[in-house]
Amino acid sequence: MTLTKKDVRKFLSEYKIVALLIVIAIIWAFFGYLTYDSDLGGSQFLTPRNFSNLLRQMAITGMLASAMVFVIVAGEIDLSVGSLLGLLGGIAAVLDVTYSWPLWATIILVIVMGLFFGLMVGWLTAYLGIPSFIVTLGGQLAFRGMVLGLTGGITIAPVSSDLKFIGQGYLPELVGDAGGVLLFLVLVFLALRTRMNRQKHNLSVSTMPAEVGRLLFAGVIILGFVMTLNDYQGVPVPVLVLLIILAVFTIVGNKTTFGRHIYAVGSNMEATRLSGVNVAYVKMMVFALMGLMCAFAGLTTTARLAAGTPSAGFGNELDAIASCFIGGTSMRGGVGSVSGALVGAVIMASLDNGMSMMGIDTFWQQIVKGIILVAAVYMDIVSSGNQRG
Amino acid sequence: MSDYLLEMHDITKDFNGVKAIDGIHLQVRRGECVGLCGENGAGKSTLMKVLSAVYPYGTWSGQILWEGKELKARNIRETEEAGIVIIHQELMMVPHLTVAENIFLGSEPRNMAGFIDYDLMNAQAEKLMARLKMSDINVALPVYNYSGGKQQLVEIAKALNKNAKLLILDEPTSALTTAETKTLLNLIKEFKANGMACVYISHKLEEVAEIADTVTVIRDGTHIGTQPMAELDTNKIITMMVGREMKNLFPRETHAIGDVVFEAKNISCWDVTNRERKVVDNVSFELRKGEILGVAGLVGAGRTELACKLFGCWNGDHEGKIFLEGQEISVRAPRDAVRLGICMVPEDRKRHGIVPLMGVGYNITMSVLKRYTTSGFIQSEAELAEIQNQIIRMKVKTAEPLLPIASLSGGNQQKAVVAKMLLPEPKVLILDEPTRGIDVGAKYEIYKLIFELAKQGVAVLMISSEMPEVLGISDRVLVMGEGKLRGNYVNEGLTQEKVLAAAIGQPTTEVA
Repeated sequence: MTLTKKDVRKFLSEYKIVALLIVIAIIWAFFGYLTYDSDLGGSQFLTPRNFSNLLRQMAITGMLASAMVFVIVAGEIDLSVGSLLGLLGGIAAVLDVTYSWPLWATIILVIVMGLFFGLMVGWLTAYLGIPSFIVTLGGQLAFRGMVLGLTGGITIAPVSSDLKFIGQGYLPELVGDAGGVLLFLVLVFLALRTRMNRQKHNLSVSTMPAEVGRLLFAGVIILGFVMTLNDYQGVPVPVLVLLIILAVFTIVGNKTTFGRHIYAVGSNMEATRLSGVNVAYVKMMVFALMGLMCAFAGLTTTARLAAGTPSAGFGNELDAIASCFIGGTSMRGGVGSVSGALVGAVIMASLDNGMSMMGIDTFWQQIVKGIILVAAVYMDIVSSGNQRG
Repeated sequence: MSDYLLEMHDITKDFNGVKAIDGIHLQVRRGECVGLCGENGAGKSTLMKVLSAVYPYGTWSGQILWEGKELKARNIRETEEAGIVIIHQELMMVPHLTVAENIFLGSEPRNMAGFIDYDLMNAQAEKLMARLKMSDINVALPVYNYSGGKQQLVEIAKALNKNAKLLILDEPTSALTTAETKTLLNLIKEFKANGMACVYISHKLEEVAEIADTVTVIRDGTHIGTQPMAELDTNKIITMMVGREMKNLFPRETHAIGDVVFEAKNISCWDVTNRERKVVDNVSFELRKGEILGVAGLVGAGRTELACKLFGCWNGDHEGKIFLEGQEISVRAPRDAVRLGICMVPEDRKRHGIVPLMGVGYNITMSVLKRYTTSGFIQSEAELAEIQNQIIRMKVKTAEPLLPIASLSGGNQQKAVVAKMLLPEPKVLILDEPTRGIDVGAKYEIYKLIFELAKQGVAVLMISSEMPEVLGISDRVLVMGEGKLRGNYVNEGLTQEKVLAAAIGQPTTEVA
């Protein structure tokens, strides 16, 4: 059988995530080869330590990208998340350092503030009809201004060790192992329940060997992931948080009416409204989720730096947006997945990490990332056959 | 030399083997106005697209003679250079450009340096407006400052600027007020006196009668007749337009009609942009349980606007009261309507009916997704089971239940949209052009479904521009024209002629 252009296109559009994983494999192999040093006993890129670093680096972008996917799928954009992250991280630092609040109280207040600002942006966009590009461009300026006012333009440090743990801590090896086993058991349980439910409703089910094979494959991935991280210091706390977000958001996107409505609104808002859906509410809540993720990312940033800085989160919105697009989210709305966006974030982080390790100048790093973004979206256009002209 | 400016002979155009027009003739003399009449979908627009080379030479068969010579235009620019200018039903203005800029769009006068010569452009634009007796228009103001009628005249100024010898006007008055219409008609008379020819396409037969010298009628893509207006009157034109026999396309079934379930009182709606213009004018009617109420009328009669108002999605100003089962209800958004038991299948399937990237099944369950959730989570299996039921019930032909709906044929998309609007179990179902653009088989399925629903006691309000459909399905027929309710007839011995006469504003004897 000869592979035609059409076959390749079909494969790429149906298994977008597979194509992206292949891209990651190529990037890793590339950097693995370039950082090979026989004196140091092998490749410096492909080590458990660097794997752990890479995941920690991408965690913050990943948190933002997880919610940004929904914003873009709903046909909107949010340019204010970097500044909002900075503001919320700054609030966390002030509460922790200046007022010595207990960690739980700090977290609750920061989350409430994140939801508040998210709802406000959403309300301005969805109910007052101001384009989200404008609202969030204004937000970018205003939130950054608030950070500067709040911190007085200086770094607020040192934060308590409790707060630091959120950004810098690792799970003990045993907890990591237990978590991996638990995750595997949950997957098995869900697979069996789905099977039973499908049989109850007389829907077709896949064969038992296929099911077992799929579960075993997932098991091997989980095992490899946990073992690699344990080989260094354990699963980093921000990575754990990101994985939980991935799970929760994937469920929200696929298993709730809210998630379904996000995709519908982005694909055809009028038809969705005429089906009896409250489209303004859906849009507002998408921005609320974005605000919530800014709170998570802000706390993580402050904890990781062990300080609140006036420039925290600067430019993060662009990394988050780029991750979504690399991960196959459509500019026109209606298409995109959280897992895709996180894979996009891994690609971005791998490029950053690999190039830094090779001592490439920052300016080159930015140029390369820019080119990769444009090329990735072009690939997406070619594979979905949406060329213009 | 021939005394005709334009002769179109034996024009035939087919789309994938389906003939849209078949052997049509049209002749226009200098200084003559030809009225082109036919029902919606008769082939008028296709004919004009052939003439203006939207369909280039070679994609249709037949012959066009222009000033005695054969015309083989490949694009609109070539026909415009020849002097054939078409003015479309929808205005083609760029709202934020000035009047003058719109008139000269694509042919801007330039000075030596290559920049636009605004003084020259504005001066010429003013001259053109003076010819149209519209000297009060400021040509340096953006077009959006002016009403639809004035914009229509700017459109004509644009045509004059192109040295049009033949002006084609496609439903030019559908968005105009009575006064604006009068101005336009007077202007056309004046052009005629100056030797310009025109083709006037309109459903408003009294306008045709007023300005046309000759009338050509087409029906179902074929040429029915060409006669001098002096030998015709509007009734004769209507007979020519309709003149077909009703075949048994409709699976009529008897169904019991119950009490009044829905009542609309003094409904009025105003245009969204031209806020002075009433598009629905004080319409009241009742709808009974198990009754199929057809709404007939020509394009632009205000039927879709009325339906939107009842479903809570009319964006312009509106007033009037709605009663459901004797209670006055407030419908401010479609979700209120759906919750109360009023559902609507919209006219424009692409824009308002389907969510294109989503699966067929997810489109179907969208109106009632909450039903398949427990504690907030969708029970995928329960939902899929319902989707399969609906796909079987509605005979939706799809390879997989979750294939994106955009990949289905129009008829199957429509069945899915109808399924979506039946799942909330409506008491009142509004269908706006439910069979537009779908094949005969799918039409039949939808007719059968309508009767089945009526049997179950659903009150159906069906808007349709296909007269045979209205007469074949309805128990009672409302006729609308220019926003007003012009007839309310029990469908017994009702003829297409009578309905069309009422739609045009010449009601014969009232029946109900």
